[in-house]
Amino acid sequence: MFKKTLATILLSALSATAFADYPDKPIAVIVGYSAGGGTDVLARVVGKYLEKELGDDASVVVKNQPGAGGQIGFTSVAKAKPDGYTLGTFNLPAALALTFDRHAAYDADSFDYIANVVHDPNTIVVSRNSPYRSLDELIEAAKAKPRSLSVALASLGGNDHFSALLMEAAAGVDFNLIPFEGASMARTTLMGGHVEVGTMALSQTVGFEDDLRVLAVLDDQRSAYAPDVPTAKEQGYDVEMGSYRGFVAPKGLPDALESRLEAAFRHLADNQDLRQELTAQGNSLDIVVGEDYRELAERQSDIAGDLWKHQPWK
Amino acid sequence: MYGNLIDALPAVLSLGNIFAVVIGVIAGICVGALPGLSATMAISVLIPFTFGMDPLVALGMMAGIYNGAMYGGSIPAVLLRIPGTPAAVATSFDGYPMAQQGRGGYALQVAVVSSALGGIASALVLMLLAPPLAKVTLLFGPTEIFWVAVFGMSAIVFLLGGDIIKGLISAAFGVFVSLIGVDTITGYERYTFGHLELLDGINIVVLLVGLYALPPAIGLLEEVRDFDTQNTGRLNTTSIWKAIPSMLKYWKTWLRSSVIGVFVGILPGAGGSMAAFLSYNEARRASKNPEDWGKGEPEGVAASETSNNADTAAALIPALTLGIPGTAVAAVMLGGLLIHGLQPGPMLFRDNPEIVFGFMWQFLFAAILLIFLGGALATNSFAQVLRLPRPLLGAIIIALVFIGVYSINNRMFDVYLMLGFGLIGYFMDKLKFPLPPVVLGLILGGFAEQNLRLALRIGGGDWSILASSPTAKVLIAMVLLVIVSPIISRRLRARKASKKVAA
Repeated sequence: MFKKTLATILLSALSATAFADYPDKPIAVIVGYSAGGGTDVLARVVGKYLEKELGDDASVVVKNQPGAGGQIGFTSVAKAKPDGYTLGTFNLPAALALTFDRHAAYDADSFDYIANVVHDPNTIVVSRNSPYRSLDELIEAAKAKPRSLSVALASLGGNDHFSALLMEAAAGVDFNLIPFEGASMARTTLMGGHVEVGTMALSQTVGFEDDLRVLAVLDDQRSAYAPDVPTAKEQGYDVEMGSYRGFVAPKGLPDALESRLEAAFRHLADNQDLRQELTAQGNSLDIVVGEDYRELAERQSDIAGDLWKHQPWK
Repeated sequence: MYGNLIDALPAVLSLGNIFAVVIGVIAGICVGALPGLSATMAISVLIPFTFGMDPLVALGMMAGIYNGAMYGGSIPAVLLRIPGTPAAVATSFDGYPMAQQGRGGYALQVAVVSSALGGIASALVLMLLAPPLAKVTLLFGPTEIFWVAVFGMSAIVFLLGGDIIKGLISAAFGVFVSLIGVDTITGYERYTFGHLELLDGINIVVLLVGLYALPPAIGLLEEVRDFDTQNTGRLNTTSIWKAIPSMLKYWKTWLRSSVIGVFVGILPGAGGSMAAFLSYNEARRASKNPEDWGKGEPEGVAASETSNNADTAAALIPALTLGIPGTAVAAVMLGGLLIHGLQPGPMLFRDNPEIVFGFMWQFLFAAILLIFLGGALATNSFAQVLRLPRPLLGAIIIALVFIGVYSINNRMFDVYLMLGFGLIGYFMDKLKFPLPPVVLGLILGGFAEQNLRLALRIGGGDWSILASSPTAKVLIAMVLLVIVSPIISRRLRARKASKKVAA
């Protein structure tokens, strides 16, 4: 009995010191997308600042496991050992939306939510040469010719797609949805006038002000990137959609580590260098930590699940 | 429009980037000189290793390899009558007889000067045409891209060569591979068998490495070939600078072959070997002494070598502007761009002008460097490449291929996939199925299918959208021309023949 207690005390003492030393080896951040992409760059930038926050010896290594729209990476985070040495980037609503439309080895409960870092609202956007100058004009045209106004989407089952579906529901219209292979293809086709509307993320429109006209931002407030563009809400359509990128750990992270990591991210919220570096890349910093982040993920998951239930896309 | 071209120059001239081109050219000549190894293979093996490099360094090496290999192929073609690359077949017609007459050195000098000139012409055309084309690519929506793909596929006919059935089977296999993965329009999974790794389809680099790199590497291992290197010993070279004046009389051939090479390069579907054959035939037709051809006429070497290099940069015009690669090499190079996060198309010219224009300069420099590296320095030493122990070389290539393919997505699945394609490629090689139609079927077939469906969806199911824009109408006319013109010319020829008989 005594021996057992002693062993327990020793063990817990050992693990306590182990946490005190954390991190004593490199922390891997699994990115479900290719090197050089938006999420990858984010992981590398945030990783750099996270190293500073965690102390002198900390090192963060990005590991790319691209494929299946990020699913390969998300799955391997979910299945990793929750020892604080494997984290992953997490894209909402994509990561959870795909658990509805195909078989996935994880769900919303497979992760410990550490922090969301950036938020990129979607938009309703047309080409510069388009006759539509406001959301109302566009919706009127859509009402006049149901299912004929073509809307370019970056992919099926992503935030572009959900934006279009939510807009349809809010305005009581039917668009002709055209899923392309990737955001840049959707944008090029819109710029060339081959499709009439796009729902791309705001960051995709930055730098294309001469070619595109953003009619609405799908957020609860105007964006610093486009302060002149009204939100959809201001124009009478209650639609909010965007993509969130953050960091998660496999479920079961020891509390001590979780609070350590969360504290680090809370500090990052006030880091002006990080904010500037992300802004330069077209990302707006939006740090949401811990329990709040979990709730955000669940809300996003519910929206996707609801859309899937009523308008399944395959 | 061309201001960006000048702006891109300083970065290209930095030491590291010039060095990358130099290394690329040298490596390319060596690879080309080794029978069985091609530029496609060398570049596809290289790409995964360029991950950590600056994009311009990686692209410079690719440009160097492409140009170098196109010349390098002529070395064994001349000395051994074994073309080092498929594009060097026509070079061996006159190059080998010259070597037998003890003029092998001169043949190689003609080859290197012609290759360089062809390459320079090609790079200049790329520089002149790509920027204005990139401006109009916004005209290319799903409808137009569908027609470009159809045009490229109808041009595959040129590639089929001897056995049309085998060529079509190869192309169909390519189209089949293009089906694998999630259908992005409906979301249904096709031929993925529940493997997440297959959802995004087959990575073109994995396929190319399997088809193009593995079989020749196995070939190096299984065949202990003792080259008869006696010709390499007696090249009888004078300095290239003394040899050049005697070549100036080939200027007409250089010009004609450059035009042919560039034109064939721009057409999706055709490639270096077709350019070389075409211009060899044209040059012979124009020659005053056609009876000497095939017996050691330097002009034959000049014709074929000019145009197989003139094809290089031109092949990138549709690839860079539209994202539709016309040849296997252009497809691998696009793979290289994508790995560096560079999406081809009009956005490339707008977002990364320093890279896309720098790449063009690198093509020009690679071509110029050919004269110095291939000609002035080392024609003799490159011929020694043939003495390398083949099994060792094969083993090294196989090791590189494994590491490279693994590192693309950091997973073994791709390595197994590559091995599968390697096996298929090995048997295709033994059974004489051509490889280029596979690649074009994969790329163009995928483009055609996806864009046809997108176009019809945009048009609400109305097929008339396929001919609604002026661009689409021009493209349709081009497709018809490619399909109908051989039939008409055959009819005309038949009528002429029957008239002769009647007379």
